[in-house]
Amino acid sequence: LRECAEKGVKAAIVVSDGFAERDENGGILQREIVEIARQVGMRILGPNTAGVANPRIGLTTSPYLAGYDQIKAGGIAIGAQTGMINPQAFPYFDLHYGVSKLCDFGNKCDVDECDLLEYLGKDPATKVIALYLESVVDGRRFLNVSREISASKPVLVLKSGRTKEGARVSASHTGSLAANDQIFGGACKQAGVLRLQKFNDLFEIPKLFASQPLPKGNRMAIISYTGAVGVLATDEGATYGLTTPSLSPLTASKLHAIFPGLGTTIVDIGPLMVVARDSDSFYQEILSTVLEDDHVDCLFNVLWAGPMEGSSEIYLNTYEALRRNSPKPIATWIYGPRSPLISTLSQRLEDLGFPVFSDLEMAVKALGMAWQYARRKKERE
Amino acid sequence: MNDLLAIMKKAREEGRTVLTEFESKRVLKRAGVPVVETRLAKDQKEAVSISRKIGFPVALKIVSPDVIHKTDAGGVKLGLENVSEVKKAYNDILTSVKKQVPRALVHGISIQKMARPGVEVIIGTSQDPQFGPVIMFGLGGLFVEVLRDVSFRIVPVGRRDAIEMIEETKGYPLLKGVRGKEPVNLSVLVDMILKISDLVGKHPAIKELEMNPVFAYKQGALAVDARILLKSE
Repeated sequence: LRECAEKGVKAAIVVSDGFAERDENGGILQREIVEIARQVGMRILGPNTAGVANPRIGLTTSPYLAGYDQIKAGGIAIGAQTGMINPQAFPYFDLHYGVSKLCDFGNKCDVDECDLLEYLGKDPATKVIALYLESVVDGRRFLNVSREISASKPVLVLKSGRTKEGARVSASHTGSLAANDQIFGGACKQAGVLRLQKFNDLFEIPKLFASQPLPKGNRMAIISYTGAVGVLATDEGATYGLTTPSLSPLTASKLHAIFPGLGTTIVDIGPLMVVARDSDSFYQEILSTVLEDDHVDCLFNVLWAGPMEGSSEIYLNTYEALRRNSPKPIATWIYGPRSPLISTLSQRLEDLGFPVFSDLEMAVKALGMAWQYARRKKERE
Repeated sequence: MNDLLAIMKKAREEGRTVLTEFESKRVLKRAGVPVVETRLAKDQKEAVSISRKIGFPVALKIVSPDVIHKTDAGGVKLGLENVSEVKKAYNDILTSVKKQVPRALVHGISIQKMARPGVEVIIGTSQDPQFGPVIMFGLGGLFVEVLRDVSFRIVPVGRRDAIEMIEETKGYPLLKGVRGKEPVNLSVLVDMILKISDLVGKHPAIKELEMNPVFAYKQGALAVDARILLKSE
């Protein structure tokens, strides 16, 4: 690092571990590298980090073997106090997952979550920011910076150390002090930061924000092949303040004309698909009819990736048409008997800009959190 | 505000970081927070005349920086209905405190009007190592002690934050009135939260503040007990 400082290097990523997270001597060493950097105005990311990725310019600074560095450029930024979000740990490429920036800030000896937030707030490629934090370096600054940024870009935070046990283990992982979780939660509410609960949320929830418009209200229409899915989705939606509305009389009569018994609350197209030979022509009409209803603010759409020839094409054509004219957010879940069919269809839909979620609860949760973000934005305007 | 600074300064000069309940309530009153009417009596005669003035029933409490647990030291008498009860209570408190905390410095005895019971809530502030001053709201009694049903925000808070603090407690429905009980006036509680946030924000010398309980009513609310701790310099 001293040599880098002498050569006028502006920034360094310190991959090595064995610093403040290890023991007292490591802590001394960490302070020493910060001191070297401060003297010449060099910034340090890490130590104890797997680095950063910027797919737009094809940059991946990975201490691992190469080959994971082809990531699709997109609008999602993920920052974390772990390398578990870096390309060696998550199949970004296979999933066609669009990333703006990835950053493991490790021990945060210099560059911390607020520096990253400020940078991502200004980054035109970043549409949504998802963070995994074990601690915040400066609580007040976190509150102010995240409040400012969340007014224009959604900020989602997964925070560990929620339990006493978790907080104790965190101290030995990155050498950081965990805050009282209730106080941290209060700060997030003040700042308009959305809190995530599970590691998988970190990757899935941002997809909706990156590709879909915000809902104008909390009414979630459901189109499914079975009633049970609709009821489960309604339950899940209610925990985020979503309601499942009765469709307008006009919509109901249009749906009835397409096929009697499609439903007036949850639209169940299962029976139609069984009996109608040319169901593909109806599919697009059903979707656009529901989306046009002014009782509807967002749509949870369930697709069945069946084994019949051409069923994927119906979906793809329908979504392709929606892409040009879709002012309401759509969260999609695909199920079916063959995982290759499901994953291929998922990737193709996501390439069209429509997020597909790993399970029905996650899809509804994404809509629910989008509604919470939209509502707060409206309230504070 | 000058009065408020004077109270804190006096405590400092006496080498104290704990304000008495009487001092704490005066600070809160100055900050515009409704507190139960409380006056200080220096002797028994004064205790009687104050009681007459504010009206029975009254409560008498020892005012001493050295007596932290007032009830345990026999320093609290509640629900006194007449002059003779006040006289007796006054003497009993002094005798008991002298026995329990022999070297206590006694400022006097506070006389306060017995507040009409309402829904008990708590408003407090403390210091967080990462966020600095934070404010807490909760429902009193079992809700806070057993269920930890409280909400936090970072000082200073805005009106919307204060409203959300109240709404997110599990006991919130009780404030809106259940089983035929009247709802309490929420906007008064919101104002109290804002005033406490403002007070603590303006006076970084305050380390902790607790109003427990506050009685919330259909109209208005009253801080019945209060405690302020200053940072050690």
